[in-house]
Amino acid sequence: MIGLNGAGKTTLMRAMLGMLHLTSGSVHIGGVPLNNTAQKAWKDVGHLIERPFAYPELDVRTNLKLAAQLNMVEPVCVPKTVDAAMIEFGLSTYAEVAARKLSLGNKQRLGLAAALQHHPKLIILDEPTSGLDPAGVIMLREVLLHRLDDGVGVLVSSHHLDEVARIANRISVINYGRYIGSLEPDAPDLERAFFDLVLADDEQRF
Amino acid sequence: MSPLGTAIRVEFCKTRKSYTIQTITVLVVLGIAILAGSLLAAARRGNEQILAQLGPLADETGWNQLTGISCQITAAGALLAFGVALAWLFGREFADATVSGLFAIPISRPTIAIAKLCVYYCWVVLVAIALGAVTSMVGLFFQLGPINSGVVHSLVRQTILVLLTGLVATPAGWAATLGRGLLPGIAVTVGLLVVAQVTAIASSSVAAWIPLSTPALWALQPVSVTAWQLGLVTSIPIVFTSFIVVSWRKLELD
Repeated sequence: MIGLNGAGKTTLMRAMLGMLHLTSGSVHIGGVPLNNTAQKAWKDVGHLIERPFAYPELDVRTNLKLAAQLNMVEPVCVPKTVDAAMIEFGLSTYAEVAARKLSLGNKQRLGLAAALQHHPKLIILDEPTSGLDPAGVIMLREVLLHRLDDGVGVLVSSHHLDEVARIANRISVINYGRYIGSLEPDAPDLERAFFDLVLADDEQRF
Repeated sequence: MSPLGTAIRVEFCKTRKSYTIQTITVLVVLGIAILAGSLLAAARRGNEQILAQLGPLADETGWNQLTGISCQITAAGALLAFGVALAWLFGREFADATVSGLFAIPISRPTIAIAKLCVYYCWVVLVAIALGAVTSMVGLFFQLGPINSGVVHSLVRQTILVLLTGLVATPAGWAATLGRGLLPGIAVTVGLLVVAQVTAIASSSVAAWIPLSTPALWALQPVSVTAWQLGLVTSIPIVFTSFIVVSWRKLELD
């Protein structure tokens, strides 16, 4: 999902995750309306919206442990899940470091690990590369591509066309709170195609 | 493990490792005991200013004077401390922006709110027991005499005062939720403190019917409060726990 700043990407993701009460329309997860979704069904969803889920005074390991527990990972599996996530997201050397002492990029890695370590079937990430260094961006791309290969649904919002084009099967364009069309990830001159869509929508509205 | 059990484990871990809660625990337990001991020492030396501040307690002696002073400090100090703790427990999710991670997970937000309150009330019990124990050590240090049944009765009354004060602070958690941060919870705590203190000073017969003031009044003047009036104190945590649960269920991040 791609759009300019303020286009409504985060708002849409919040609505999908029940963080907003809809004034109209509806959200279905796995064919079930959001209001009727069983609480335990959220186990199959992993998300990171805006800020990483990280308690500043707790170290990386403890933060991941709490996130795993909140996602109802079996208690006996929690240590193994946390260790695997720290390896996957390059956090092993920071295992005992408090989250408040982490750099912005490592804090983002922690948030991503917390969102994905329980292997959800649906992943919703808002600007996931925010704060990540180039190595972190590649790491995230590899993780998401592996999850896609496993049949996981991934929805990522971004305003970086290059980043989206490398991982997306479909690119949906959002403008002024509405879906205005889609782009082919392998299309030539993606940037031009994006701005043509946005410009056409702006001209139609004004 | 059930969602509530899991949520309690998570909240217990967060609370145990919290510098804020650790600091408040030390301030309440050691702070009140040291302050009470200092005032007792000053009163025993005949410091007139302190004796004037103690009011009717100036005429008491020994353990009665120590537990009376401790209760007087606890009524105000512990309410402030517990209110700040609750404001932190609920408000920190907004201040640290971790609240979005509590949406769309297999444990509901009302369950998380109940878990927070469970952990908070358990912590209050521990603080109450610790303060009673430390107060008794202060009394032994000042050689106030043997701990007989009367002394035990006074210490138990102080412990119950701490427990009731913890219950009375519950609205701070609701305020922190509605205000989405620590400061609204702290502001409401200060408001509760002012109401409790002013009504207790203005009229003890009126204060006995105001659940905010009843615990302190009962601890200092047990005969002026009936069992019914004391029982009314539980209405505050019952009502405000309901408010907190409903607010967390309806919470949205607009």
